[in-house]
Amino acid sequence: VRALVFASALVIAGCGGPKERVAPASVGALEARGAMPQDSAPKEELRMVPPEAYLRTYLELFGGLLPLEVQARARGKDGAQLFDTWGDYFSALGFPDYRLDLPRATQTNALMVAAFERLGVALCDRAVEHDFKPGEKDKVIFAFESADDFAARFDVLHRAFLGYPAALAPTDRTKRFAELYESVVARHASPGAPKSRFSPEEAGWAAVCYGLVRHPEFHLY
Amino acid sequence: LVIASASSDARASRTREDYRHFRAASIDLLGRMPTPAELAAFERPGFDADAWLDQHLGGAAYAQRLTRIYMDLLRLEPGVAVQFAPDPTALYRQQIMGPDGKLLHVYFRARQRRARDETDGEFCFTPEETGLHVEARQPPRPGETAIPVSKALLDKYTVVVKPWWLYRDYLQLAPSKRYKAGWDDPDPAYQPVDTLLKEPDGSATVEVRLCREEAQASETGHIYATGRVRPAPGTLPPFGRKRPLPLDTPYARDHKGESIRCQSKLGLESSIDCGCGTGLEHCLPIDSTVLGGGAFMFPNHVPLGLGAPIDDARQQAARWYPFWWSQEATHFFEYLFSGDRDFREVLTAHYSVINGPLAQFYRTIQPSNCCDKEASFGMQSEIEPLFDPKRVPIELFPHDVASWKVIDDRGDRASGLLTMPIFLEKFASGRARGAALYNAFLCKSFVADDVQLEPSTEPNLMVRPGCSTCHAALEPLAAYFARVEAGSLVYLPSPQFPVANDKCKKKADGRLPGGCENFYDPAFSDVHAGTLRGAYGSPQHADGGPALAGKDLTALPDFASCAVQRVAASFFGRPITHDDAALVQSLTEVFVSKGYRMRPLVRALMKSSAYRDANNVRSGGS
Repeated sequence: VRALVFASALVIAGCGGPKERVAPASVGALEARGAMPQDSAPKEELRMVPPEAYLRTYLELFGGLLPLEVQARARGKDGAQLFDTWGDYFSALGFPDYRLDLPRATQTNALMVAAFERLGVALCDRAVEHDFKPGEKDKVIFAFESADDFAARFDVLHRAFLGYPAALAPTDRTKRFAELYESVVARHASPGAPKSRFSPEEAGWAAVCYGLVRHPEFHLY
Repeated sequence: LVIASASSDARASRTREDYRHFRAASIDLLGRMPTPAELAAFERPGFDADAWLDQHLGGAAYAQRLTRIYMDLLRLEPGVAVQFAPDPTALYRQQIMGPDGKLLHVYFRARQRRARDETDGEFCFTPEETGLHVEARQPPRPGETAIPVSKALLDKYTVVVKPWWLYRDYLQLAPSKRYKAGWDDPDPAYQPVDTLLKEPDGSATVEVRLCREEAQASETGHIYATGRVRPAPGTLPPFGRKRPLPLDTPYARDHKGESIRCQSKLGLESSIDCGCGTGLEHCLPIDSTVLGGGAFMFPNHVPLGLGAPIDDARQQAARWYPFWWSQEATHFFEYLFSGDRDFREVLTAHYSVINGPLAQFYRTIQPSNCCDKEASFGMQSEIEPLFDPKRVPIELFPHDVASWKVIDDRGDRASGLLTMPIFLEKFASGRARGAALYNAFLCKSFVADDVQLEPSTEPNLMVRPGCSTCHAALEPLAAYFARVEAGSLVYLPSPQFPVANDKCKKKADGRLPGGCENFYDPAFSDVHAGTLRGAYGSPQHADGGPALAGKDLTALPDFASCAVQRVAASFFGRPITHDDAALVQSLTEVFVSKGYRMRPLVRALMKSSAYRDANNVRSGGS
């Protein structure tokens, strides 16, 4: 019992003792493990090509015509099957409408992407009809010789739409588009293929054109 | 441009980033992506990026690029509901049956005073004479059948004229150059609607018939007063009229017989010898009896400029001048930027750029938009117009829609964008104008305090709790525009309309004397003087007008840095943040040191690594 009392006294004495304190002390400079420059420049995704620039580029690709001339040519004899009117695309392309106090669109949306698609298809189809005419000298999009290999011809289109040589593309883009071209040509040439106003080769190039004119790099900068 | 200098094998040395940068610069300065030929030039040895930049910093696409920044901010196009056809200028058209049973058109003005009591203030024929109840601004009544008007009446009450919209030489005694018939080279963009060119039977219109009073061409008329007294309540209007006979205004009673300018509201409302002028050039034709009637074809949208419209539509006549107001602002900006002028002129310039329709507007239409209520303050016609009609070049005809001329000096009250109709109409109140300037040119916004608004009778918003946060700054800004009448673009001169006017002091019943409340605000008036509406925020600003606003705002340090932020944000395609502070400061120094000119600013901006690198988060792709 005496031992128990002694032990208890020791415990009680321990609890009532002075608190343990951590005094602030200099720890010196932390040792550098490596240097990494901090880039404080604001970063953003590539911005959308302004609709004015898109429209001007589109007109240029069509051969440097005025909007209403392009509209007439794009509609051709098909009416609104391929191309409606610029007025119909005005808002969808992201133009601001100052009359309604609508600001310009700075991000894509489903309607805009659909408009890009429809306009792109119209451009490519009309360009195929025009440029592949026998003896056509004044080609607007497919400005290459049929004797060139696919890579050379594709490079012409790549530069026209995306503004740089296909060889500098971040992926094996030329190979992928070649596969696309060949598969479309094969499909159109196969027995029982749906009737088309395009030859298999023309359909192949139209498909390549669709791919480039709808490419994100075409719409961003 | 921060593009690797061209070596002997430039094409091989170009990186994808170089191409991206060149494409971005092309989009910003040429307004489109580079063509294959331009890419080839870029790849050629010796390509000089600086020379390329300098070459394109002065081009039309560059000016349009900068214009877009401010048009996006201010949205300077009239709303779809905006119509502008003041009564003295709107020439409506009614179809009646002629003596031979053929239908014919007769033009007339609403509220035209006539000596004949039956038609005073109305169409020049009575319903009994035509079988039709004709009313301006109202569609034809259904079910009415026209009856032939006798030749004697037709000759008595109407005349025929060769009007300006049909004849290039309408100012000549015997005009002969009719639209596409003798006048063979009209501006392609000048397109009267088909209905203005044809008679009811489909034949070509070679002259128009209109009520005799409207056809008068004198520049001055006389105050007409009938001495009529107000009819007793319940008395039906005489002669089967729908409306009572017009009564004399107090001004007409007091000044009967005095000479007045026909180009004024008074000329229409208080005289019988004022018409639409030579060739009807003071009036705008409308092909029906309603304001929604047509007059001209013009585009709804011109995102690439007037030379490349994306549509062409039959438009309401009353939108003709508002359309050109917007184009005036666009041309003003493009002139400012293409000439690399001091950007402060955007708010201070005396010059502007106008075409034929705008010349007609400033020369004859706007003067007719004043004055009626102002007359009792001694203003029968505009005294200090925002655009002096005498400064409009006579060689600009209403048909010259594609001829734009710089007017070096619009007059003493002119001040850049601030006195243009499109700005004053788009932002129709003093507060709206002040807020637009605060935001667009000082990069500031009004943000309300997080306070509980208590009911208050305090009229002074600069001190009313909860309101003062914004209105302490807004009311003085609004006061700059206190002298520009809302809706009429008329400037109220200080001699006739002093800020504190003892003739408009409060009466014992708390009201202001007759006519004063149109211009003076009872809430800020007392027994000593009436206070001009909108001026209480700063009488000094009210007296200085928009010109003082331009001077004051451009002198603020925020003006330059805001312009830099606006341009940089547009070229970077993202908002400017605190992280851009150093860049904004250095660009502002360039901008100010070069005399507030945009070209050095844009050059410095495009040569900065920030322009090259800001939008460099890669997207993948196949």
